[in-house]
Amino acid sequence: MRSLLSFLLLAVPSALVSATEYHEQLNLRPLPLSALLASFNFRANTSIADFEAQNFRLFPRSLGQILQYAGTRELHLRFTLGRWDAESWGTRPWDGTKEGGTGVELWAWLDAETDQEADEKWLTLTNALSGLFCASLNFIDGTRTIRPVVSFQPEGDHPNTTLDNTRLLHGVLPHEVVCTENLTPFLKMLPCKGKAGIASLLDGHKLFDASFQSMAIDVRPICPSEGECVLQLEQTVDMVLDVDRSKRPHDNPIPRPPPSHDLICDTTKPYHKPDDSCFPVDHLRGQDWTLSQIFGRTMKGTCPLTDPEVPPVCVHIPSTRDIFSAQGAHEIKYPNNDSLRCYHIEQDKEFTLILTKPEAPVDGEVAPLGIVKPETPVLYAERSFTGHGQEHGGMQAILTNPGDDTVEFVYMESLPWFMRVYLHTLSARISASSPNTNTSAEIVKQIYYRPALDRARGTQLELLVSIPPHCTVFLTYDFEKSILRYTEYPPDANRGFDVAAAVITTLEPKAMNIRTTSLLLYLPTPDFSMPYNVIIFTSTTIALAFGGLYNILVRRMVGANEAPPAAIKDKVLGFIEKLKKKKRTVAAVAAGGSAKPATGKTEAK
Amino acid sequence: MAPGESGQPQASGDSAPVASSPPLPPPEKPSAVRQRSYVVLSFWLVVLLLGLPIWWKTTAIYRAELPLDRMLKWADGKACRPVFPLQISIQADSLQEQEAQNLIRLTQHALDDLNDFSGHHLRLQLAPRNAPLPRDDFQTALTIRLKPGTSSSASLNQESAVLDITYPPNHVPSLTSPSSPLASYITNELRATFAEEQSIISYLLSTSSMSTGVRPQGLSAEAAEALSKRTTRSLRYAPTYHLTFSLFTDNALPNTWDIEAALDEYIRPMLEVLRPIHNFTIDTQIQLYAIPGVQSQVLSKDHLSSFINAAEWPLSPSIGKAPTINFVIYIGNQTVGLDAEAETAQSWMIPQWGTVYLLSQPDTESHVSTAALKQPMLTFGGHLLSLMGTPQSGSLPLRLSTLGRIRSTDLLLRASSTLGSLARLSLALPSISIPRSVADGVSKTMHHLELACADLGGPEGLMHARIAEEEAERAFFEKSMVGQLYFPDEHKIAVYLPLLGPVFVPLLMGLINEVKKFIKEAKQKAQEARSKKHQ
Repeated sequence: MRSLLSFLLLAVPSALVSATEYHEQLNLRPLPLSALLASFNFRANTSIADFEAQNFRLFPRSLGQILQYAGTRELHLRFTLGRWDAESWGTRPWDGTKEGGTGVELWAWLDAETDQEADEKWLTLTNALSGLFCASLNFIDGTRTIRPVVSFQPEGDHPNTTLDNTRLLHGVLPHEVVCTENLTPFLKMLPCKGKAGIASLLDGHKLFDASFQSMAIDVRPICPSEGECVLQLEQTVDMVLDVDRSKRPHDNPIPRPPPSHDLICDTTKPYHKPDDSCFPVDHLRGQDWTLSQIFGRTMKGTCPLTDPEVPPVCVHIPSTRDIFSAQGAHEIKYPNNDSLRCYHIEQDKEFTLILTKPEAPVDGEVAPLGIVKPETPVLYAERSFTGHGQEHGGMQAILTNPGDDTVEFVYMESLPWFMRVYLHTLSARISASSPNTNTSAEIVKQIYYRPALDRARGTQLELLVSIPPHCTVFLTYDFEKSILRYTEYPPDANRGFDVAAAVITTLEPKAMNIRTTSLLLYLPTPDFSMPYNVIIFTSTTIALAFGGLYNILVRRMVGANEAPPAAIKDKVLGFIEKLKKKKRTVAAVAAGGSAKPATGKTEAK
Repeated sequence: MAPGESGQPQASGDSAPVASSPPLPPPEKPSAVRQRSYVVLSFWLVVLLLGLPIWWKTTAIYRAELPLDRMLKWADGKACRPVFPLQISIQADSLQEQEAQNLIRLTQHALDDLNDFSGHHLRLQLAPRNAPLPRDDFQTALTIRLKPGTSSSASLNQESAVLDITYPPNHVPSLTSPSSPLASYITNELRATFAEEQSIISYLLSTSSMSTGVRPQGLSAEAAEALSKRTTRSLRYAPTYHLTFSLFTDNALPNTWDIEAALDEYIRPMLEVLRPIHNFTIDTQIQLYAIPGVQSQVLSKDHLSSFINAAEWPLSPSIGKAPTINFVIYIGNQTVGLDAEAETAQSWMIPQWGTVYLLSQPDTESHVSTAALKQPMLTFGGHLLSLMGTPQSGSLPLRLSTLGRIRSTDLLLRASSTLGSLARLSLALPSISIPRSVADGVSKTMHHLELACADLGGPEGLMHARIAEEEAERAFFEKSMVGQLYFPDEHKIAVYLPLLGPVFVPLLMGLINEVKKFIKEAKQKAQEARSKKHQ
């Protein structure tokens, strides 16, 4: 019996091993001008049984324990820096599902019967994650937490019974500056750390020098149609590198103009003269780089745990461009996708890629773009403040639908409590320049609004909006800026207060996410020496009133000519006189201390 | 401007002759004088009777009443004399009832004569005949089974707290004899069995501030040093410990291990035995590409402290209240060099932290089997016991029951010394605020300390000592006590001075004038009285 039992126990882990898997991939996609999008994706699965027994292999123990302790069913954490330039870069990577608003964004489904229990678990979760990721996540308190109704849907497979007992909470920290200290724990969570595989390319200097970067951590249960459920940890890093800036040598980072003989000029310009005037077209010809140049290091083989079927590096670039890879790498081309090339890499060999400069076009011919043209996004969104003065603020979101289909989406705002929103001023109008301004369809279809409570919670605003094709919609509302208490101002109060990005979740024609930039709200800021001023001012007033009253009560009123000589004044004057005399006598070496000081009484009079 | 200019010379012209001989104002009415005195007096009464108490009340720091005397008494060990009455039952089914009684009496005498540490007291009693073996309860510390045999021998049962003693028949004491070889044999065996526990407890008592009245009994300097090493090595008591088993390797292999099976086979049975005293939770992890802090082939003693690469290895303590004990297996062919050249070891213990085991494996092996994990797991088991402060000698059940008593003593001493520190703190810092929760914590601590002291050897005692320690720590580390400490005096002056300066000057002047007048009048009256007398 015992031997059978131990046999079973031996057999079980090996069965579990096959259920766990790991996969990583780097996608490189050159963007217009000198931008290059690098998307790192790491995915580790662990069986739910292993997770619950706390046997961690590919799943990081630190995160696993936090999830168990806080009863988290699904977790999404985002660290974002910079702005995605949708006008020139097109659609977002992963359709925007793996990026957050500037700063830190966290949303999770927590096991909780009641809202209070959810709040307690949320507090535990934010505090623990704050320690794990060296971020100020513990500052996500009640005022920064909302419970979205329609914007977020669970990504994992949850049985309906558990989903009924979970609560979704969402918190943002727009003020948080994402930096290297957040990357280090992120890399530590990978099975191969930053030591092998594509993660060896991630370097804090380059990552946080990027024009846009977003780190995402998603934990979700996945239940395949057959087989047991697994818990999936997906870590993603998206960064838009400026190739020119990345290629600058480390010891000579100042940009300098190239010598004139290296300039490539647009000879079609009428003012073009060799050695005199030149319209440079260098950047229009397409980028050229090597992998080690743009990331500052070479890639150290592959992670041995990774799924050998998945090629670790892929490049999205037209087939006309030449790419050379290091020895030992094996290029795959896909017949159904002309512009995709992937590379299999040997385990222990260093790997690099070289994208060569495209050949100069024959004179008169238009140079090919040299990149895969970015897709036009479904929706453009930007947001800004309007309003006037210290008190009256306004918000304006400009939403443009460039496509031929009506776009339906949820617009969600999580606003701080000191922005007092006047919901009755909410208006959506189609811009006059739009082709079909006379559309009678309602733009804002539904509103979910949870008003703010001072110092307890922020405003939650979710709007279901639909925009007709080729239209621009202005969504505006007014708010009032409230005055905070003295201690509620941060040390850099005059910098302003960050307002989190609006989250746009499109429903039609396809599901994707867009986030606007975060805003800086300037609140009326007091002079911080105020308390002492107030103390001194009120004290003076009280002292004046008291002194006057007291004197009237105590003093005796007599005629001005009847006033007795002011004794103190006389004494002081006499004393001064005495001192003067003494000095004089000492100085003059006049004999005797008999110099009688004048009483001074008459003089004083 | 114009009227002022025209008026000025006139006014000075008027006042000039007056100044030379000022006309006296008409004498004040006595009622006005009295009224002024009343005004001054009433202002001062308002300040003293109303203002001062309100100021006192609103700026006073709340200090809950603490039973300082009793707290200090606990800290000094005057409130509780730790006594461990240990029940030892003797099963002597082969002896006559009277013979057995006699044997017990003799043995008890011998024990009492030899015992030099009054707190640790062994009490013998006769077990009822044909009783089943005692379960693992704390009522009976040890059962002695006497069996006739050919020679005197004693062996500790490994499964339960039973000492089997065989004796030759002629050693049984006769009813009249004042001594017997069997009685002294049992005495010696018992003393040997409990020697370690006794020395540990007396060491604990002697190092704490409770030492008054308890001298370290017969502890040599070396023994004391060994004991202090052992006590500093062991973790602080907690009801639950979290065990983390980690596999570290400096490359990608091996990346699987049969940890679940190994735990079931080697660790869980032991934890089951420890369950009456502690709970355990377990997690395991594998970490690849982990580079140790020291790379050299043979690790010397100095290397061991820096071997754990704390910055990079994810060995952070688990969240939750339970302290974490780490058991690390590092795959590598490094060895630990001991003092002797040839001798090497594979593992070392880090005090209050855990154990590291260096396991060498072929480079190509990607899996660590249960068989390979056997030796590390056994090492971890042994180290776990010593990390928890279990004594080293004796059978496992006996060691564990001893552990319970040691822990109770330790907790009792800790709680008492925390109480003492709190009492001294509140005496030393009169400006510190003492919230009600601290007073509650203190009273709870004392209550549970008393209960623990009453039943120090038993499981109840352990529980009460644990609660007392928890409460004492919570009271001592109350957050709101610290906040008030650092309020600089400059700030107080800055707040008070603008108000009190301008207000108090007229008040004081008025008072001085009144007092002066009063003295003058009194003098005048006295003079008048004198002149009247002269007349």
